[in-house]
Amino acid sequence: MSEQQNSRIDTQAWVAGSEAPEKRVLNLGFMALTDAASVIVAATQGFAEKHGLTINLLRQASWASLRDKLLSGELDAAHSLYGLIYGVQLGIGGAPATDMAVLMGLNQNGQSINLSHALQLAGVTTSDALNLRARQKGARLTFAQTLPTGTHAMWLYYWLASQGIHPITDVDSVVVPPPQMVAHLKARRIDGFCAGEPWCAQAVDEDLGFTLATTQSIWPDHPEKALGCTRAFVEHYPNTARALVMAVLEASRFIDENDENKRSTAQLLSGREYVDAPLSAIQPRFLGQYQDGLGHAWLDAQPLRFHADGAVNMPYLSDGMWFMTQFRRWGLLRGDPDYLGIARQVQQLDLYRQAAKALNIRIPAEQRSATLLDGKTWDGSDPAGYARGFTLHALADSDAVAL
Amino acid sequence: MLRILLINDTPKKVGRLKAALSEAGFEVIDESGLTIDLPARVEAVRPDVILIDTESPSRDVMEQVVLVSRDQPRPIVMFTDEHDPGVMRQAIQSGVSAYIVEGIHAQRLQPILDVAMARFESDQALRAQLQARDAQLAERKRIELAKGLLMKMKNCTEEEAYTLMRRQAMSRQQKLLQVAEQIIAMHDLLGS
Repeated sequence: MSEQQNSRIDTQAWVAGSEAPEKRVLNLGFMALTDAASVIVAATQGFAEKHGLTINLLRQASWASLRDKLLSGELDAAHSLYGLIYGVQLGIGGAPATDMAVLMGLNQNGQSINLSHALQLAGVTTSDALNLRARQKGARLTFAQTLPTGTHAMWLYYWLASQGIHPITDVDSVVVPPPQMVAHLKARRIDGFCAGEPWCAQAVDEDLGFTLATTQSIWPDHPEKALGCTRAFVEHYPNTARALVMAVLEASRFIDENDENKRSTAQLLSGREYVDAPLSAIQPRFLGQYQDGLGHAWLDAQPLRFHADGAVNMPYLSDGMWFMTQFRRWGLLRGDPDYLGIARQVQQLDLYRQAAKALNIRIPAEQRSATLLDGKTWDGSDPAGYARGFTLHALADSDAVAL
Repeated sequence: MLRILLINDTPKKVGRLKAALSEAGFEVIDESGLTIDLPARVEAVRPDVILIDTESPSRDVMEQVVLVSRDQPRPIVMFTDEHDPGVMRQAIQSGVSAYIVEGIHAQRLQPILDVAMARFESDQALRAQLQARDAQLAERKRIELAKGLLMKMKNCTEEEAYTLMRRQAMSRQQKLLQVAEQIIAMHDLLGS
């Protein structure tokens, strides 16, 4: 009986104008991070099925592997660093340039910059002290982030630069996979790191480090992870892509609805198949309850969030462009790209609007404005000028002139 | 002779791979240390080819090596840059990722990949996960049946029933379907 219904739905998928998903079983990649919550909840709590999809969740060991599997088709879509999608689009890094798509924003806020216990003992617990320490002759400080084009590299660089520390010439930076940050801190191989949770909370819990700055203190409600896939996937399976956005939107709304749902979500995340970390490291910061390891505790005004009536999920053009301005600022791009043109191709605004409208979710403007901690305002209006407007930078203009 | 750096930091048994590559006439340097030293090791060894498990967390560290080396005369690229994308797909599915120094032809890489792919043990558990499941309609029906039973039992709305079921599932690290099956089984047990 159900077989008959199955084949009927499959047939419908081929009817012109049908809204039924063309592809019903999806392989979705994620990294072991608490901000993968909405895709994990969508896949396991009946949201995907409601929209005609079955999602196979596949945890990945590295961002590079997640990216390669997106490009090879082994993964259909993934919980992705915003900067990873744009790095591939622009051909920066180990993969060939490929047209990519951001289907929606998955979360805002909730990452942090942490320093080692050794620096704490040496009295380096403020940005001023860190600035002095970074300029001392002798051993250079080493900071870890998670991918050269990733969000954590950009938050780390932005924060260091805002404190007068040049992230490329004043300190060394290395890439370490997020679940290994704590082990590297323990082995004293790094002096600090920027990553997502629960790995920062775990460093604090184990007395191996302290949180110096949250990323929401750099940019309140900053973009972080996106639901990413190749452009080819969206073009081949538009109905599937829309159904996926709807399922993840509903899961996002459910998580953010109240603290009880957030607590249950934190319990789900701690499971072995998902983040595989103690609930005690996941739950407090998931609810916005921070302690920095220096004796300060607070309820954060801009905690990790997944929905906020859709304000989190809109694939804003200005969010996509911001990452390109920072690639430009730090010399990862040797010339100005067509910021707006590329963002319009990558950010799947039409698809998102259709999905949000069908769920009665508010659709904000396609650009947004924010003032970051160095006092600079980003509103997407002049990306090339913005990229050039920083005192500390590594603009690689010689190549551009040579062209 | 091509010099191969073999990064061996996952539980996969690649012990014989080094010997097999050596027998095939390649110079192989085996590396199984902490990943943070990788950029320095690549600089010191200056390999022509780097082989690494696709599932290795050190893949992200290699991304840094790629970016750093793009300004040197011997940039390191993912082997697929200009070659047959089918080769990349096949290698990644077998669990092998390769980085090569630009200028090495695909023909010279192929025998290395052939040996590596034959030696990498593919993870059967992962393959099993990748098997597509197509029981979604049946699942949906079971969930709806359980929801209906719960609405009657608790005298609550549809939304409330879903929320109750989801909270229960998540706090036990289960799927919604599992809780639905438990509700149906309990209902059958108690009779109606």
